[in-house]
Amino acid sequence: MAGRRAAIKAIDWAAFSERVPSNQRAMFNALKTRSDALSARLASLPEKPPTIDWAYYKATVAKAGMVDEFQKKFSALKVPEPVDTQTAKVDAQEQEATKSTAEYVQASKARIAQYEQELQKLRSMIPFEQMTLEDLHEAFPETKLDKEKYPYWPHKPIADL
Amino acid sequence: MLGGTSGGYLVPPPSSEQGSPNSSYIAENVLELHLRVFVCCLFCKKLNGIFLIIYSILHTKRALHASQQCLAPLPPLPEKGGEVRYGLIPEEFFQFLYPKTGVTGPYMLGTGLLLYFLSKEIYVVNHETVAAACILSVLIYGVKKYGSKVAAFADKLNEEKVATALAVKNDAIKGLETAIEQEKKEQWRVEGRSYLFDAKRNNIAMLLEANYRERLLTVYNEVKKRLDYQVAMQHLKRQKEQDHMIQWVEKNVVQSITPQQQKESIAKCILDLKALSKSAQMTV
Repeated sequence: MAGRRAAIKAIDWAAFSERVPSNQRAMFNALKTRSDALSARLASLPEKPPTIDWAYYKATVAKAGMVDEFQKKFSALKVPEPVDTQTAKVDAQEQEATKSTAEYVQASKARIAQYEQELQKLRSMIPFEQMTLEDLHEAFPETKLDKEKYPYWPHKPIADL
Repeated sequence: MLGGTSGGYLVPPPSSEQGSPNSSYIAENVLELHLRVFVCCLFCKKLNGIFLIIYSILHTKRALHASQQCLAPLPPLPEKGGEVRYGLIPEEFFQFLYPKTGVTGPYMLGTGLLLYFLSKEIYVVNHETVAAACILSVLIYGVKKYGSKVAAFADKLNEEKVATALAVKNDAIKGLETAIEQEKKEQWRVEGRSYLFDAKRNNIAMLLEANYRERLLTVYNEVKKRLDYQVAMQHLKRQKEQDHMIQWVEKNVVQSITPQQQKESIAKCILDLKALSKSAQMTV
């Protein structure tokens, strides 16, 4: 009976549900229904089967030794526990997920830093009333007219006017 | 001092001060060239060409600015221009003359000058004066009447441009802020991955446990079924034996009743009945 009671942790489905993004909602619902079905099945099965009344059978059954034989064999029987093949895979998945999560979080932080930088630049800009055209080109490089690529006025493709 | 105290207008554009020494070289090169050519033309009318060549060879690479240039950002341009009286004469002129001549000083100077020009015919009154007077009066009337409206219109155009630029900037700021928030939210979401794996492991554990219990239950049921079968078989056998015996006994008893016995039993029954009926009549 040693490895039998793998701890069944209580899961906060509400908190879990909050963290699920909308495009993965269907998968989450499937998981939840499966989990609920399994727990219902587990709850419906008794933890230990009822014990057999050997005394009654010994008194009733006429065949000599049959009940004793059954009793001996029954108590000697060890029902094999189902072998757990999948938890290792789940653990491996979790490791992988942790790794990819770390990468994602790092990339996300880099992106946030970049956004913060741009935000800082935008916030510390001088107001438009005090800008010259050169200041504008510095602040928004896309407004600068490319005079090498389009040497003739209006220095940008006509479609962009 | 006149130009110097005019309130810091129109500072020269930044590019010529700051970053591009080459363009300023070119500018002063041309300027210097023109100055030199002018001087040469004044003093040596015959040797202009030679002077041009000599001077352009000698003075090609001298910088105009001697000291380090200041890279501080410029102060913003003032909203309004300097104060003027009568649209022509700056206020600083009046302030300049105020200590010596008081308030009426510049007006006296102006009147005196005007009368001087008229009386000495330095300015000649002819038909162009009349034309000038008419044109100027029309112009001044037009500007005074519609000037503010035109100015407001032009300001509105400018305002719209600035407003669109500002809107773009604000949208960019908002977009960036929402992006940052989204990223933070995604990071928070990702932190909840432990729930998923716990759920999976739970499912596995529940499945295993349920299977184990099912197996135990099956074993119990099977054994019980077999024992119950034995018991039921025994009961059935007993029952059958009993029934059979009863039947056999009944059959034998019925067979053993001979016709003689039957007659005797019938006669006895009739006697009994008569006796009973007598007793019944007597009670009635």
